[in-house]
Amino acid sequence: MRDGIVLAIVLILQATVVYRMEIAGIRPDLLVAFVVYLGWMRGPIAGTAGGFIVGLIQDLDAPGPLGLNALSKSLIGFLVAKAGFRVHRSNIGVRFAFFFVAMLMHDVVYFAVSTSGDLGKFIVQMFFVALPTALYTTAIVLLILTLVESVSKGLLLTDEA
Amino acid sequence: MLRNLLARRTDWTVLVIACGLSFSLMVLERHEQARVAWFIQHTLLGPFEAAMGWMDSAVGVYWDNQHLRQRLTRLQIETDALHGERQENARLRQLLKLEERHPYSLVASSVVGRSLDRLGGSLTIDKGIADGVEAGRAILTPDGLVGRVERATQHQARILTLLHRDCAVAARIDRSRVDGVMQWEFGTQPVLNLRYVSSQEDVKAGDLVVTSGLGDMFPAGIRIGTVARVSLDPNGLMKEITVRPAVNFRSLEEILVYLPSTLRGSAPADLFLEQPEPTAAVPTPSAPAPSTSTTAPSAPVPPPPAAKPAPGAITKGVGAPPESVSSESTGMATP
Repeated sequence: MRDGIVLAIVLILQATVVYRMEIAGIRPDLLVAFVVYLGWMRGPIAGTAGGFIVGLIQDLDAPGPLGLNALSKSLIGFLVAKAGFRVHRSNIGVRFAFFFVAMLMHDVVYFAVSTSGDLGKFIVQMFFVALPTALYTTAIVLLILTLVESVSKGLLLTDEA
Repeated sequence: MLRNLLARRTDWTVLVIACGLSFSLMVLERHEQARVAWFIQHTLLGPFEAAMGWMDSAVGVYWDNQHLRQRLTRLQIETDALHGERQENARLRQLLKLEERHPYSLVASSVVGRSLDRLGGSLTIDKGIADGVEAGRAILTPDGLVGRVERATQHQARILTLLHRDCAVAARIDRSRVDGVMQWEFGTQPVLNLRYVSSQEDVKAGDLVVTSGLGDMFPAGIRIGTVARVSLDPNGLMKEITVRPAVNFRSLEEILVYLPSTLRGSAPADLFLEQPEPTAAVPTPSAPAPSTSTTAPSAPVPPPPAAKPAPGAITKGVGAPPESVSSESTGMATP
């Protein structure tokens, strides 16, 4: 239930507010961050299924082929859940590494398909879009997590899943 | 045995199913993808879209208010100047015995929802059928063409921007009158490609690209963008032309819906480039373009001409008296 509410908030924020935070054409992608959170806290099944649903919702609005975001987010939900099983989720460094690497992995899948295997385009997209987006999103997500956790006086990403 | 395997490896099974479904969707034909997307949107996401619109209205009030105050001041000054120019225009037209152009209406609308995808291929606006907005209408800003209405409900409409693969536009190089089809190519930056232009045609970087009006989807002469790069395709038969859009799709907040009295009508002077007089307009025969090049691949049939402007619409036309033009005319001169 709580995850559903968080998803609804994230979707609304992504569609309405996030574009106002754009810097040099780069805007945070809160939907990937939500999938990372889901996979990390709820395990591989919820992460994969949640990633698929979130990606599909995103695909409905996207100009690209239906299923591309669903594929990349399903994989990320699964991989994060598998890799993040026994780590300290409350550690800020671990959080940074997980969100940052997961964002990059997501974009590796996304751009590998969207550039149709053109290595030059792929590298350009990874360097000029994926990398700054991952950094920006990670910073925003960590800020939000810190704010919410300090207000609620509890951890959103706890060590015990 | 299979059941045991699935029970023991549920997480992997879910992954395989999710990836399989994703791949299945990706390999569907484009029209089938559109059908699936339409079904999901209408059955599952209707309430969410409404909530999204409400949220944007609530959050955007402050920013919009500041922006609109500045804009109102600027437009008031421009309107005063245009009033004089309009009268002069009418006098000169009378002197030259030029035919009056057809009137048109512009309905101002706010963007209340955006694409969740980073490329921003679609928008939701707060005007719908009740305001005269129907599928297929052109969407403009003072900078140029934004896209077209994909579908409309009573009070909202979904816009496909030029950065959507289903929004193709019959376009023309303004300088050399070379025709082609403008379409975004998936996987690239927010730049457009002008297709079906022969390698023999005269196109240079920096040329302005406007709508050609062919296909009756968009009126002629709307600014689309500027040619950024010209090269030859691997076969050397066609030009590969990259166009930088005139509109910044990421920062759209207010747009105008073009409601023509007839789609062959004239163009707002600020939005549309100067059209040469009929004697001067000698279109260069373009490319071995296919006959479909004048319309979008999935373009809907153009809607019938509006019988009269929608309520609240900004109506314009040379023949109209100056009083009929609202001061909210967003600074567009009379054609």
